Amino acid sequence: MNDHQEKPMESRTSATAVDIRNLSFNYGSTQALKNIGLNLKRNEVTAFIGPSGCGKSTLLRCINRMNDEIAGTRITQGEILIDDINIYDRSVDVVKLRRQVGMVFQKSNPFPSSIYDNVAYGLRMRGERDSAVLDQSVQESLESAALWDEVKDRLQESALGLSGGQQQRLCIARTIAVKPTIVLMDEPCSALDPIATAKVEDLIWKLKHDYTFIIVTHNMHQAARVSDKTAFFYMGELVEFSDTSRMFSNPSVKKTEEYITGRFG
Amino acid sequence: MASEKSSNAKTSHKFQRSGFSYEQLIRFFFASNAGLTIVILTLIIAFLLKEGLGFFPGYRRDLETYRIAGLEFVDISRNNLTSHEQLTSLLNRAYYAEVNGKSARELKRTEEASALYNAFTDQVGPTRDLIINNPQARTDANAGMKAALLGNYEKQREKALLKPINTPHLTAKEREGLLESLRTRPPEATEDPPLVAALAQEFVAAQQKHAAPLQEFRTVIDDFESAGFDLGSIIMEMTESVTVTKEQLQTADILEKDRKTLLAAASGEKDPVERERLLADARAALADKPDVETPMEALLERKPECARLHEALKTASSDALKKIPSRLSDPDARRLLGAARKAWPQFIADLEAAPKKISAWKHTDPVPLSDAILSFLTGKKWVTGGEWQDFYGILPLAVGSLMIAMIALSISIPVSISAAIYVNHFAKPREQALVKPVIEFIQAIPSVVLGFVGILVFGTILREISVMDAFQWVPGFPIEERLNIFTAGCLLALMSIPTIFSLAEDALNNVPSAYAEASEALGASHVQTAFRVMIPASFSGILAAILLGFGRVIGETMVVLLVAGNRIKIPDFSEGLGAFFQPSHTLTGIIAQELGEVPLGSVHYRALFVVGIVLFAVVLGINATAHHFVNRAKK
Ligand SMILES: Nc1ncnc2c1ncn2[C@@H]1O[C@H](COP(=O)(O)OP(=O)(O)OP(=O)(O)O)[C@@H](O)[C@H]1O
Ligand SMILES: [Mg+2]
Repeated sequence: MNDHQEKPMESRTSATAVDIRNLSFNYGSTQALKNIGLNLKRNEVTAFIGPSGCGKSTLLRCINRMNDEIAGTRITQGEILIDDINIYDRSVDVVKLRRQVGMVFQKSNPFPSSIYDNVAYGLRMRGERDSAVLDQSVQESLESAALWDEVKDRLQESALGLSGGQQQRLCIARTIAVKPTIVLMDEPCSALDPIATAKVEDLIWKLKHDYTFIIVTHNMHQAARVSDKTAFFYMGELVEFSDTSRMFSNPSVKKTEEYITGRFG
Repeated sequence: MASEKSSNAKTSHKFQRSGFSYEQLIRFFFASNAGLTIVILTLIIAFLLKEGLGFFPGYRRDLETYRIAGLEFVDISRNNLTSHEQLTSLLNRAYYAEVNGKSARELKRTEEASALYNAFTDQVGPTRDLIINNPQARTDANAGMKAALLGNYEKQREKALLKPINTPHLTAKEREGLLESLRTRPPEATEDPPLVAALAQEFVAAQQKHAAPLQEFRTVIDDFESAGFDLGSIIMEMTESVTVTKEQLQTADILEKDRKTLLAAASGEKDPVERERLLADARAALADKPDVETPMEALLERKPECARLHEALKTASSDALKKIPSRLSDPDARRLLGAARKAWPQFIADLEAAPKKISAWKHTDPVPLSDAILSFLTGKKWVTGGEWQDFYGILPLAVGSLMIAMIALSISIPVSISAAIYVNHFAKPREQALVKPVIEFIQAIPSVVLGFVGILVFGTILREISVMDAFQWVPGFPIEERLNIFTAGCLLALMSIPTIFSLAEDALNNVPSAYAEASEALGASHVQTAFRVMIPASFSGILAAILLGFGRVIGETMVVLLVAGNRIKIPDFSEGLGAFFQPSHTLTGIIAQELGEVPLGSVHYRALFVVGIVLFAVVLGINATAHHFVNRAKK
């Protein structure tokens, strides 16, 4: 994995996938994000790090508008562009947006139905009825999520019977089954053991050629292992954003260095 | 106890428990309250069972008397006679519908003229009565008074003629003539105004004219009617004798019961003098066994005659069926005739089976307890307080309750479940804050008030709608009774909506928000999330909500008592769904209505308790099932 990380970042010259401009965000009257500006490139893995409560999840949920579901939230300033479209424009259909911007939650949350139905859910919601197409998609997605071998004989069993790590990989499989272009992951490995964590990280590396990943993590090693770029947040502000290798070897802001070396947070 | 043990050790240690603490006191208080509810519930069940279970032996004895006294025998013939009367009535109604249908114009004209005239007499009536019937006024003892009355009469007359009702079928001239005759009508006049009389005659003439071609039908009906006379008179004779026997048997039963009470009292009595007195009373109460055999022999001797009369009636009926006209022109008449035709084969079959039944009947056949139970559970008749014979068949009540519940649930389930889904999943917080309390407020409306609304507003509106031409395609329209199963069902729907809504909303709320989030993050719309994730995940809870709503509907009393129409009869399903527009009685309603009037301890009283037990068992079963689903939902 480390050899991956050593790859020269400059070689990626892909276009911008997500462009966050001067974004401020409020939960009711409390401001959670202050004037965030971030430019995320296509097919890169970006890690969001920072102490608890600094707004990482909030920003992540802004990118597929999951915050819409929470009453009293609003963008007070700025915008987010995906493929040059302001996703907070009135004309945007959130359903279509979310089909392109998938999300894996911190706590694995499979539906209380069979493994197969979990993975097929997204496609079915899109009106896919052809069982051959569904079968193929389920298999491919589970294979990409490195889960296929473990569950191929029990696809019709309840997803709730899987272990925590398997459930999390199932959620990843479910997310990539609908072929989004951007995948948001909120601490996907926080409940996993090192082996399962390694599998998820492998997965990200394997899939990054097809997807743009944004991953929130509290694990500095993980950030260093999987990401191309890292953004460090503190109290709702973006403190530093740069190549991961630079950030972890030579951070430009003192706060970042303190956090990375574990002196606070 | 604990303190005693530790006091053996004499020395108290640092974990020493202090004596009877405040905490224990509170605990005891709570425990006793919880225990009390259980004790009360047990007592209620015990009371219900004690009062109710005596019903079956009592009812068995009733049925036995019914057989021994020969009432059962008479009923074989009587049931057929009743069917015969019903058929006759159907034919007669068809006949008159046909005649009146053809004279519809004349009927309307005479009706309109009479209605106008009646409205007039209603208005002036009271004053007129004063003038005519006042002895003072008649003897002219007080001229001033008479003048005042006459003045008043004129005033009332003016008022009455100010806005006379519409008479679209009268010519303008006729109407003017009628009004004029009323304007000049002296107070003491008693005969109808000329036009009213003339139109009545016109109508009679029209009836006669149209009856002429139906002469043959008329004869058929009359012949058919008189074919039942012989059977009717023999039934009447038999009825007299069997009721006497029945009364004797009942009196003997009562005496026997008294005697048993006295004997029981005597055996418990310690004072020898007093005991002797009680025993003497008991001996005096010893009833002579009433003689049932002699009247029974006389009754049984009539068997051949009864059978013969049935044969004769059967022949006459088959003949009549062949002769009744195949087609009538008036739609109402056609419908009635159709109904008669439909009932005919069953009637003939019953007549045919009757002689066999009559000869097979034996007054000595035993009446086992199972007969009483079966008769209660599957009996189609709930007849009480009659002079002939009481029957306690729960079926008409159960069917009524069930049909009302079906209507109620088929309305309230869709409404409350979709409201719950909307409030839980779609509504903005402000809408939630409005809709939820409003729906739950319905629960606060006293059911008596709801019943009022049901009778006065809903029932009336329903009837108005049912006579509109645009709705004649609905089966059962136009409805005959304002108060019926449908009206009651609608009101109960209203009452069960809050129950189902609240519980279903709770169930939806209990679905982890992570499910909905996951679904929406996968690009499912709100509606898809609701149907594919929320409802399946809360299905058990929603089912429980529906069941509890059902329990509420079945157990509700006041509204059904007020609005269901309280006719104890299984609705007639020959009209299909129209059966839902017929009045009905219910399990709950019958208890509320009759319990206050029955003598304590009577069979009727106990029957009501058994209905209560059935109700209790049903609701308990429903709640237990609901509970089961709730528990499953929690897992
Ligand atoms: N639903 C909410 N309503 C109100 N305030 C919220 C809500 N969710 C988060 N916040 C607040 O917004 C701020 C940022 O929260 P957020 O969840 O984005 O932090 P985080 O960086 O993801 O923290 P963690 O690492 O613990 O997950 C916090 O102060 C939090 O209290
Ligand atoms: Mg978070």
